[in-house]
Amino acid sequence: MTDVTAVGPAGSEELEGTVFDIGYQSYVGPREGRSRARWAVYKDGLRSALGLGRGPRAKVIPWFFITILGVIGLVMALIAGAVNTYVGPNAAEVLDLPSHSDYYGIASIVFFVFAAVGGPEMLCPDRRDGVINLYLVRPLTGSDYISARWLAFFTVMLSVAWLPQLLLLAGLTLSDANPGDYLLENWLDIPRLLTAGLAMAAYTTSLALFAASFTTRRAYASVFLVGMFVITTPFTTGLASQLAEDYEGTAGAWVSMFNLSNIPVHVNDLIFGEVSLITSVAPAGEFSGWILIGWYLLWTLVPAGLLWMRYRKLTP
Amino acid sequence: MPALLIAENLTKHYDDDIALDDVSFDISDGITGVLGENGAGKSTAFKIFLGLLQPTSGSATILGENASESVAVRSKLGYMPEHDCLPSTVSAAEFLTHVAEVSGLPPTRARIRAADTLRHTGLFEERYRAMGGYSTGMKQRVKLAQALVHDPAIVFLDEPTAGLDPVGREEMLALVRKTHREFGISVLFSSHLMVDVERTCDRIIVLRGGRLVQSGDLEQFTKDAETVFIEVDDNRDRLVVALEKRGVLVTSDGHGLYIEGSDESVYDKVRSALVESEAPLRRMAPRRGELTELFRRDGEAGQRDREPDPRDGDADPGNGKAT
Repeated sequence: MTDVTAVGPAGSEELEGTVFDIGYQSYVGPREGRSRARWAVYKDGLRSALGLGRGPRAKVIPWFFITILGVIGLVMALIAGAVNTYVGPNAAEVLDLPSHSDYYGIASIVFFVFAAVGGPEMLCPDRRDGVINLYLVRPLTGSDYISARWLAFFTVMLSVAWLPQLLLLAGLTLSDANPGDYLLENWLDIPRLLTAGLAMAAYTTSLALFAASFTTRRAYASVFLVGMFVITTPFTTGLASQLAEDYEGTAGAWVSMFNLSNIPVHVNDLIFGEVSLITSVAPAGEFSGWILIGWYLLWTLVPAGLLWMRYRKLTP
Repeated sequence: MPALLIAENLTKHYDDDIALDDVSFDISDGITGVLGENGAGKSTAFKIFLGLLQPTSGSATILGENASESVAVRSKLGYMPEHDCLPSTVSAAEFLTHVAEVSGLPPTRARIRAADTLRHTGLFEERYRAMGGYSTGMKQRVKLAQALVHDPAIVFLDEPTAGLDPVGREEMLALVRKTHREFGISVLFSSHLMVDVERTCDRIIVLRGGRLVQSGDLEQFTKDAETVFIEVDDNRDRLVVALEKRGVLVTSDGHGLYIEGSDESVYDKVRSALVESEAPLRRMAPRRGELTELFRRDGEAGQRDREPDPRDGDADPGNGKAT
C-alpha cells in the first residue's frame, strides 16, 4: 500500500489517496512455523468434521447426529422436569428415571455411529485426494498432522458428548423447586459427566481414526466401524449370556468384554458409581474396576499409538 | 552465486531397485529443468529434497539445511505435484488460505496471499467455486498457486504442463517464467518434454535410469547442437561428396543439407566445397540446435548401455516406495 501526496496551490501537502498494490508480490510478514501449521490442520479438522465451509451435503450427516444426540438429552430433561413438576419434587430421582449416569449408555450407539461416519472424514479424503503430500512438504511432520487431526475429532466428539449432558443438567436444575439446592446436592455429577464424556470421546476418536487410516474410502471405514460397534453388541451379548449360564468361571464375562459399545460405558459406570441401563445385563460388569479400566485403556491407547506410528513414518 | 540445492553422492534404493545412483549436482538461482524419461529418478530426487524420502546414502542439502532433518526449511519450499492433490468440495480461495496457514502464515495474511496468488495465476474470478468443477487447466493453476502462496525461495514443479492443451501449456510456461523473473523465486522444473524445458529453463539436469547424464547451462547445450543449413540450386550430390571429403558430417532432409557444428572452420570447408562442386548457393544460415537432437544422439548411445527403469513418478508416503 502506498500513500500518494500532492503539493497544493499554497505549497501545503495534502493527502490525495492510497494506491493498493494488488496481485502477487514477495511476502515479508511473519512465518510462524510448526505451531501455526498444527493449528491450521486442527482447525481444518474441526471444519471437515462439522461440514463447515463445505456444501450442504457435507453438513447433513454431522448435524443430523448432533441433533439426535441433543434431542435425547433434551427429552430426558423434559421428562424429568415434567415428572418433578407434575408428580412432585425429586420424583424423577425417586422413580429412578434415566439421568446423567444413564445418558452415555442410552446414546452410545448413536454416538458410535456418528464416530464411524465422521472419523473417516478426518483422514480418508486427504489421502485419496493427495492433499497429504501438500501438508508434508510444509513445516509439518506426520506426527504433527495426525496429532492435530486426532485432537480435532476428539474436540468434536467431546462437544457432542458434553452438550446433551449439559442440557440434561440444565433441565434437571431448572425443574427443581430450588435450583441452587439441586446443584449443591448434585454438584459431583458435573465432574463425573465431564470425565465420562472424555472417556467416551477418546475411545471413539482413537478407534474411528485408526480404522480410517487403513483405507482411502470413507464408506469402507464407516461400514467397518458401524459393523464393529453395532454387530458386536448382539453377538457378544447372546454368546456371553449363554456361556455365563452354561459354564462356571469368567468365560462369559470375557466374551462380554468384546462388546465394543460397552467398553467406555463400563468406565462411565465406574465414574458415576452405579450401573447404567445397558451394562446392567453385561457379564463383564462382574470384573473389578481395574480390569475394566485396563481394558478400556488397551482399546483406546493401543489404536491411538498404532495410528501415530503409521503417520510418523510418512516423514523421515 | 551460492548453491540453493546440493546433492552429494545421492543414492536411493527401494529394496533391490535403484531409483537414484550416486548422483551429485548443485543448483543455484534461476529456472532449472530436470529432464528424464519416466522412472529416471526425477520425482525421487524431488521428494528427497522436499523431505518426503530419506536417501539411502549421500546427502541432500537445501538452503543450507539437511533436507531430511530440517522441518523449518520447508516453510521456504513450494511443491506442485504431478498427481491430483486438490479436494473437490472446497473452493480455491479457502484451500489456498488453508495451505498458506499450514506453511506458517497468520490467518489474515494467508487470506490476502491466497487472493493475490489466485489473481497471479488467473483464477481470481473463479476463486469461490468448488474445485471439483474445475477444468484440468484450472486445476493445474491451483496446484501452481498452492506452491507459491507462501512465497517460497524455491518451488519444485513436477510435470506442470501434464494434461494441458497447447494454449494451456503456453500459459503455464509463461507463468513459470514470470514467477522467476518478476518475483525471484527459483524454480526446479521436471518434465519429459524437452520443448517445455528448452523454452523455460536457464539450466538443465538430465537423469537417466537414476544416473546423472548431463548438467549445465541450456545455452551451452543448444550451442552444441547447432547446425548450418545449406540450400543449393544444382550439383547437390557433388557438394555432399566435396563436404564429406573434407570430413564434414552432412545430413539431408530432401530440401537442404544440415552440417553439424557452427564454428568458423566449418564455414571455410563449406566455401571450399561449394567452389569445388560448382554448386550454386541459394541459402546458407546457422540453425539453432534443439535439445531433442542432442538427447536423441545421447539417448541412442545410452540406450545401448542401460534399459529404462520401470519405476515412474511419485512415492507414496504411506509406504515410502515409488509407485
